[in-house]
Amino acid sequence: MNYALLIYENESAYGSEKNNPALQEIVEKHMSFSQELGPKRLGGAGLAGTYVATTVRTTNGTKSVHDGPFAETKEQLGGFYLIEAADLDEAIDIAKRVPLQPDGAIEIRPLLGG
Amino acid sequence: MSGALDATFRSASARIVGALAACYHDLDLAEEAFAEACARAAQAWQSAIPERPDGWLYIVAGRYALDLIRKRRVRDSLRAEEPEIEPSADEMMLDDSHLIPDERLRLIFVCCHPAIAPDARAALTLRTVCGLDTGEIAHAFLTSEAALAQRLVRAKRKIAEAGVPFEIPGPNLWAERLDAVLSTLEVAYSKAHEDAAGTGPHSAYAAEILNLSQTLAELLPEEPDVLALAALVRFCEARRPARTDAAGSMIPLSEQDPAKWDRVLIRAGDAYLKRAFELQASGARLLQTGIHAAWCRRQNLDEPPPWPKVLALYDSLVAIADNPITRLNRIVALAEIHGYDTALEEVDRLHSAALEGFLPFRAVRADLLRKAGRTAEARADYDAALTLQPAPAESAWLMRQRNEMQQ
Repeated sequence: MNYALLIYENESAYGSEKNNPALQEIVEKHMSFSQELGPKRLGGAGLAGTYVATTVRTTNGTKSVHDGPFAETKEQLGGFYLIEAADLDEAIDIAKRVPLQPDGAIEIRPLLGG
Repeated sequence: MSGALDATFRSASARIVGALAACYHDLDLAEEAFAEACARAAQAWQSAIPERPDGWLYIVAGRYALDLIRKRRVRDSLRAEEPEIEPSADEMMLDDSHLIPDERLRLIFVCCHPAIAPDARAALTLRTVCGLDTGEIAHAFLTSEAALAQRLVRAKRKIAEAGVPFEIPGPNLWAERLDAVLSTLEVAYSKAHEDAAGTGPHSAYAAEILNLSQTLAELLPEEPDVLALAALVRFCEARRPARTDAAGSMIPLSEQDPAKWDRVLIRAGDAYLKRAFELQASGARLLQTGIHAAWCRRQNLDEPPPWPKVLALYDSLVAIADNPITRLNRIVALAEIHGYDTALEEVDRLHSAALEGFLPFRAVRADLLRKAGRTAEARADYDAALTLQPAPAESAWLMRQRNEMQQ
């Protein structure tokens, strides 16, 4: 089955500069984790911080464009993996190995039709 | 000399920052390069300002921008020799209009992009298109300079990193994006206009909106809403000298002395609005401005106020853009024609929880109750209005109306 692993962390830990050491460190961890996953990794990406997010909201059928993320929360969606796993247990096992700050969450969602 | 220099720098700012930002898709770089050019000019022009200061500043800022980009690319490598940055005599032969591309319109669309936080759009436009410094804008928005600077940094970063296009939007996006530009200017102007006394921190800022609306009308002469906005700002500014009395109390529109209105501004507004109506028969912004035009046609206090015309325009406006605020304004005109009791019935039909704490609603209702002779109820509404923190001029007026009623 195919799953999406959605990474939620407090993005402020990574600061706002590309050369922030915490950010560089986690990026390196993700790169080696991706290698480790090998063909089980179908895709994925890291996302720029929510300060650069734009939301298109539809209210009563009317669309409007807003600055900022969909919701202001303590933890934000910061990236995702698309993986192939035999079952949820394997997906959970992989999710537990996704590099993360001491606090954060990985949400596992099966892909529809996959 | 320094005053003349500052004026030169400010008037050159929009064209040059706009041209560089559009070229390099980087507002920060454009501003930094322009600031450097101004610093160099302050040195180089000590004896006299050159004949064509804009061209000089543009060439110097452009070279400095290129140099910055080059340095960023070779950061940490050996420092290259400083290139010759000041323009040669040959370069100064070109005419400014050919030398400096006019990218102000692109820049306005960038600054007012809907993906930029609404509270940053007007500030960013004033900064980059009008050349106001952060201190001045912070003053106008009644916020701290540090808070405003941070808002601008965030907005510029969003523009740079989210991929906001430095393009004039195409036909499929035009209506939405032009509306974002016009609403930004409207909100910015309403801030300036709130200050009835005209002596507060917003008064100079109103002059900037006057200029900006004119610039926009020059850049988009075929857009009726743009022309209507330029007209609206002129009608409102024309009346500024008559909006308060000697004691600093607000004077309602129908009691203002039209002899004090600025006829030059009114004529300019009339010309914009006439052109707008030639391009388009109707529309919310056109009708709204038409109401102001109707008032501005009044020549003196002996002439009756144009209530019938105003009511007819509000009727048309409610038909295409119905909202409680337009209805409330319509009721003010209705009262003068159909009587205060009819108007009060309509006000109470309009009444909803959303309007409960809305200052204009309380003020209008209080005024109608007073005129209808329902003193006790009027006093209650005046008191409610006064708790909603009206500006000092309006507060003084409400207080006087309240206290003039018979006990």
